[in-house]
Amino acid sequence: MGEDLPLKMTGVSKWFGSFQAVRGLDFDVPKGSIVGFLGPNGAGKSTSLRMALGVLSPDRGDVSLLGAPPNLESLKRVGFLPEERGLYKKMSPRQIITYFARLKGMSSRDAKARADELLEMMGLSEFGRSRVTKLSKGMAQKVQILSALAHRPDFLILDEPFSGLDPVNQQALEDLIIEEHKRGATIVFSTHVMEHAERLCEKIVMMARGRKVFDGTLDEAFAALGRAVHIGVAEGFDLGAALSPSGFEAAQEGDHWRVSLKPAQSSQDALRATLDSGAPITSFTPQEARLRDVFVSLVSEAEAQDLTDTLAADAAEGREAA
Amino acid sequence: MIRSTYLVTMRDYLGYVSAWGFWLGLLFTPVIIGIFILAPTFAQNAQPTRYFAVIEKGDTFTNALREEMDNSIGVMARAMLDPLAIAEDRDSKKLSAFDDARSSGATVDEAFVQAGGNPAMLPRQDFVEVEAPVENSSELAPYLIGETLVETEEGPQPLFAAFVVNETSGEIEYWSENLQARTLITFAREAERELQLDRALAAVNVDRSVLNEARAARRDVKQQRVRIGEGEDAETEVTQTDRAPFVVSIMMAFSLWFLIFSVINYLLMGTIEERSNKIFDSLLTSVKLPHLLAGKLLAVLLLSLTLMAFWSFGSGLLTWFVRDSIPADVAQGIGSLLAAAAKPALFVPAIISFVLGYLMYGSLFLALGSLCDTIQEAQTLMTPLFVTLMAPLAMLAFAIQDAESALIEIMAWVPVFTPFLLILRMPTEPPLWEVLAQLGLMAATTLLILHLATRVYRAGAVHGAGVNDVWAFFGKLVPGKKSAA
Repeated sequence: MGEDLPLKMTGVSKWFGSFQAVRGLDFDVPKGSIVGFLGPNGAGKSTSLRMALGVLSPDRGDVSLLGAPPNLESLKRVGFLPEERGLYKKMSPRQIITYFARLKGMSSRDAKARADELLEMMGLSEFGRSRVTKLSKGMAQKVQILSALAHRPDFLILDEPFSGLDPVNQQALEDLIIEEHKRGATIVFSTHVMEHAERLCEKIVMMARGRKVFDGTLDEAFAALGRAVHIGVAEGFDLGAALSPSGFEAAQEGDHWRVSLKPAQSSQDALRATLDSGAPITSFTPQEARLRDVFVSLVSEAEAQDLTDTLAADAAEGREAA
Repeated sequence: MIRSTYLVTMRDYLGYVSAWGFWLGLLFTPVIIGIFILAPTFAQNAQPTRYFAVIEKGDTFTNALREEMDNSIGVMARAMLDPLAIAEDRDSKKLSAFDDARSSGATVDEAFVQAGGNPAMLPRQDFVEVEAPVENSSELAPYLIGETLVETEEGPQPLFAAFVVNETSGEIEYWSENLQARTLITFAREAERELQLDRALAAVNVDRSVLNEARAARRDVKQQRVRIGEGEDAETEVTQTDRAPFVVSIMMAFSLWFLIFSVINYLLMGTIEERSNKIFDSLLTSVKLPHLLAGKLLAVLLLSLTLMAFWSFGSGLLTWFVRDSIPADVAQGIGSLLAAAAKPALFVPAIISFVLGYLMYGSLFLALGSLCDTIQEAQTLMTPLFVTLMAPLAMLAFAIQDAESALIEIMAWVPVFTPFLLILRMPTEPPLWEVLAQLGLMAATTLLILHLATRVYRAGAVHGAGVNDVWAFFGKLVPGKKSAA
């Protein structure tokens, strides 16, 4: 384990009073990867990341950060952008970046040089010595991101780094993440905007209602949803019955049929079988799976499961009371 | 730890000293204190001369009133000649010279100068008698309301007040449109009391001089103290040097109170700023919580030391510049105070008390700040602390009267008061075990408060606990009451 898995969480649970925010979370982050930590608001992402950093202690389970339980030494190799953004308003961006870099162990001279380098890279040089109060919200957010990576961390944990940024700055941040990755940093970021994860991540972990609902590569995520083609045929033609002998399952959805593809089947196979069945085809659309669909599907399942569990628990409680 | 604590300390310290508020406090606090000290003198000097008249057939009351007013100036002159001797109710060369000159018939002004007083500092009477412009009270109205002026050395002026001595009824009436100024009427009452005393003495054929001689012959009560181990010939009379430790201890206790009171606000405001700026998570992944708190406490401690150093240096510099015009006895008094302050028996417990008291109250304010998003929220939690902080100030008054009072002795065992009251007790030379026990208790309480404050700070900074959680916590402590939380 250790350095090959900069982060490993095993059976981690966290309660706030009677509310369980995280439920038996298991996941790991391979060295050198970019991992997307996805989930709707309130899924437990931030709580999990705060536990990963040792800001919060788990009530159950274990956390290993860079090979050991989170401690100040391992944290010096970690850069963290919290979900709740904040800066010292009376300090300048240069002072803030320098301060956090020094807290992470850099010398004063190196920290100042690094601050200047990063500010220039992000086009903030002219505001380097202004007070934070004079910066726009986007600029302030960039300063905070720069503070998190000023000390060239081995492991970057970014909690909702894209929220609050305009498209131009979102792209700039994506570029920055790619640059950090090229430098050799392992990166975990949480988001509920799937497009960023699709573009950047090699691995994704999805959470809903405090539970992990998916952990794998993008391909595995798409496979989890299932591939399909949409085929339009003349009205009254039963495509389901026509394709059944070929081993395809088709279900009518409005004005078209949804033909599910099994792992060994391709969209061409489905088209060929449809033509062979003599179906009067009016349209053919292969369905390209999007992470958003996977996300919605898995989260909905998790929420339905949660509701079922709650009802079952209530029923059991009622029986006990009776 | 040292590096991260140092970085937090320096960031916070430089943040505080770069604020305008700090420099305003640094420069204006001595000015404001100076104004408070000098305000009565300024007010006295700014007071315009007020004119009064006495309507009396003869001059018995008038003379008694003049004598009374003259004596009051004499009292002021004596206080200006030697304030320390007056405060300590003892004789002095200056006072004796003044009294001798007055007995020889010198005026107050003459006696003041003869006794070595600075003529520029001569006390001035605010009330000046003028000739009565009318002969009865019914005609006074236009003069008292300023419609008609009276002739004075400064030209025509309004009449402030008038006394009318009614020979038939024997009553003395005081007429004035100013209902608040009581000085003149007090002089009149005192003059009448003396007048009646003279009449009573005359009725039994006793001359007033007999009474004056009897008063002058009163024996002085000299305060003595036992000086153990200093030989039989050692001087036992209580001196300025003996009193200096008491004065110094009161000054030290007040300074400690003032410093804590003035700097802990910085801790509160700084923590509220960090909470409202949502910066805790970034900090807590860069520095351990105890190190963060230590850095913050050290920053404000450094700030208070900066204030002390600046004010001490400023006072020293000012004293140096005016050294030639400081009277020898005042210089001697300052020397006694400095010598008393330099004694380890006083300054060692004072320094320990200062550090522990600061940590105790400072950590409490840090913890409170971590629970509040705004200063308004903080105010609701701070009230009990401010009340606690006001109690030692009230006890300074007891200490001035009697540093060995049972109240101070008992309250010094309450750890939140010990930092202030132990200093007050030190000149009374309490048993060593008591001093050590109180220091130990104070240290243990400080550690406990630091521990609890760290937990509260963590709850506020990490878990976002707020003011409502505090009330919910106390709600749980009320027996039979269910908490809403």
